[in-house]
Amino acid sequence: MSNEREKQRHIHGSNVSRRSVLKAGVAGAATLAAPGLLIGRAHAAGEHMDLDSFMGAGIDWHMADGAQINIGVIPAGYFKNLEAVLPDFKTLTGVDARLEMIPPGQIRQKAVLDLSSKTGTYASHSADPMYYQLYVTNGWIDPLDDYLGNGKLTDNKWFDFEDIQPGHRGATSVDGRPYGIPFDGEATIQIYRKDVYDAAGIGPAETLEEYESNAAKIHDPDNRLWGCALRGFRGAGQNMYIYPSIFRSYGGEWFDGDRITVDTPEALGALEYYVKLLNNYAPKGVENWNWPDIADAFGQGTVGSYIDAHGSAAVVANPEKSKVVGKIGFARWPKGPSGKRVTSIWNWSFPINGALTDKQKQATWLFNQWAGSREVQVATSYAFPGAYKRTGANRASLWEDPKFLDLMGKFGHNYVQAATESFANDTDPDWRPRLPQWPAVGDTMATAIQSALVGQATPADALKDAQKKIDKILKT
Amino acid sequence: MASLAGGNGDLNSGEKRFAVLLTAPSLLVLLLTTTFPLAYLVWSSFQTINLAMPFLDGFAGFDNYIEMWDDSRYWHSIGLTGIYTVSSVSMQVVIGMGLALLVMQIPQGQWIFRIVAILPIVLAPVVVGLFWRTLMLAPNFGMIDFIIQWLGFEQVNWLGAPVPALISVIAIHTWQWTPFAFLVFLASLASLPTDVYEAARIDKANALQRFWYITLPLLRPAIVIVVIMRAMISLAAFAAIFAATGGGPGTATEILNLYAFKTSFIELNFGYGSALAVSLLVITMVVSGVLFRLRTARGAGGN
Repeated sequence: MSNEREKQRHIHGSNVSRRSVLKAGVAGAATLAAPGLLIGRAHAAGEHMDLDSFMGAGIDWHMADGAQINIGVIPAGYFKNLEAVLPDFKTLTGVDARLEMIPPGQIRQKAVLDLSSKTGTYASHSADPMYYQLYVTNGWIDPLDDYLGNGKLTDNKWFDFEDIQPGHRGATSVDGRPYGIPFDGEATIQIYRKDVYDAAGIGPAETLEEYESNAAKIHDPDNRLWGCALRGFRGAGQNMYIYPSIFRSYGGEWFDGDRITVDTPEALGALEYYVKLLNNYAPKGVENWNWPDIADAFGQGTVGSYIDAHGSAAVVANPEKSKVVGKIGFARWPKGPSGKRVTSIWNWSFPINGALTDKQKQATWLFNQWAGSREVQVATSYAFPGAYKRTGANRASLWEDPKFLDLMGKFGHNYVQAATESFANDTDPDWRPRLPQWPAVGDTMATAIQSALVGQATPADALKDAQKKIDKILKT
Repeated sequence: MASLAGGNGDLNSGEKRFAVLLTAPSLLVLLLTTTFPLAYLVWSSFQTINLAMPFLDGFAGFDNYIEMWDDSRYWHSIGLTGIYTVSSVSMQVVIGMGLALLVMQIPQGQWIFRIVAILPIVLAPVVVGLFWRTLMLAPNFGMIDFIIQWLGFEQVNWLGAPVPALISVIAIHTWQWTPFAFLVFLASLASLPTDVYEAARIDKANALQRFWYITLPLLRPAIVIVVIMRAMISLAAFAAIFAATGGGPGTATEILNLYAFKTSFIELNFGYGSALAVSLLVITMVVSGVLFRLRTARGAGGN
């Protein structure tokens, strides 16, 4: 239902920007704030981005004037903030860009169907980094080095592509060529109840073993406090978000030559750890939980700790939704038996659909550049007037910006340090196996992990089964 | 039927041509929306179409069908489809019949039950799935869990453990579609001739005998129709399970239709996914063919 509302809001918003075309220029920008309730609320007059800072780029922002492009994104806070500042993009470029909100469970399928049928419905979309291999294998999207290297299209002195987090740039590149502009990225960190840990005389876990013993020490279901929770729901982006980090911390390697290996002793150790941890210390029903469910439970004070994206702090530290504000501590991913801490390299990025006309491609590139620029990152983060401010800034330089760090510091104890150190030290390019068959491999693994979690199969059998299926997927 | 056939014979050729002209648009739409996609499905089931490996695409012959043979997940899903269909259809018939007989005893206000019975049917299956998932079956917060614990039983993790999850999705389907059986039976019961029952009463047949020797045989056409319609829908069930469990946990509720969907749209292996869908189509046609045969055979014997 919220999607329906999203759509309505969106349609409303686009009407506004169309109307503003008629009243061109500065006057147009002023009328934007008046009729659109959404824009009026989130983006009050006088808070527009300074156009001059974009004019610093030595490119013609109006090169695709009048083009219309459609961008598919998920209805998450960070994209809603982007939507709120979108009228500025129209003013800057004359391009009519519309954001279409698509639920996270459907965006991959919608994008694949659009790309494979070459209809060009979505000029760009918030892309799952794991899908780039698939896109590139089919030639569905354009390599971006052609755009980045073209002085007419990009002024890299201004855009500074290299400032974007290296882990995220790597995750959206294939064979060294960039294919997507990262917009919002995450690090995986420990989030725990500092008051509960303090009372039990423990600190955040240094190792996975300690994470388990911490959970055991605070586990008290009779008083509605469970030791910990991790994503349990089946899906390439759900339990296969958290398991790969454990797998890599256990020293697991996805590739053995060209073969994908998922039934090695390291894999078994990792899965047994995950199953035991959740069965012993997580609330009932965790096998159907994704991160919002975990964050809600943590916010209600029923879960003592969890490991997930640093962005979920915005939920658990939100006084309107959470009862544990001010009692939260953060720490890096605990070391596994291999001594490694492994954060995800998850990010949402914008590619360019190869089925577009040249003018639309230019317009899309302008959009990608604009959304990834430092100015827009700031405008949707600490400078955003609404209550929700983005925490997944894509740029290394922002993670040194005192204003940004000031915002991040409010979430709780050690937040900034945990996140920045994770970005700097714990990112792992081999977090998940990058290959075109990822959708099938990821889903197979997700099914196996959940089967093991609910006892439909033992961890060893589940992995053996998955290995058999994956061998078949890659061979066919 | 007879009058229609007779009428047809009386049409002159000009009228016939006009009749064809009138039906042409709907025939065309049917052709485009059902026949063509079906033919395309069958065609793609003989191809290798895998978006993850486009370089392998091409004619596959019977490879996709041969692959099914030693695909344990396929046989698992067939087994689940069978359990799901047989148990939910038989429960719908038994419960629907029981409710209909009960409501028939009520002299006044049957319409209230008819209206209440329609409610689950008009809900979209996705809504039903989500409703049960979040409000009824969720651990700690769900109504069912609440009632069970209030009665002093141990908590059951309905959608989180393999067997309870299968029971749950069967119960959800039964809950939504029993009213359909109920309404059909209620209408049939209301139209039964009263003189037969009077005769039976004079012969001192008890209630059970009257049900067994009169009501049930007279209701047979209605029962068979309900079974056929519900079995066809159950075999191809999708949305409620998709919303309630997504086929999980693990593969515990992954009936054939869900497996075919996942193969095509999550794994992007459209060739194999099409073959799975075709196999579901064949199974559905065979099952309904057998049921139809049963119906006409019985009917002929009775006459």
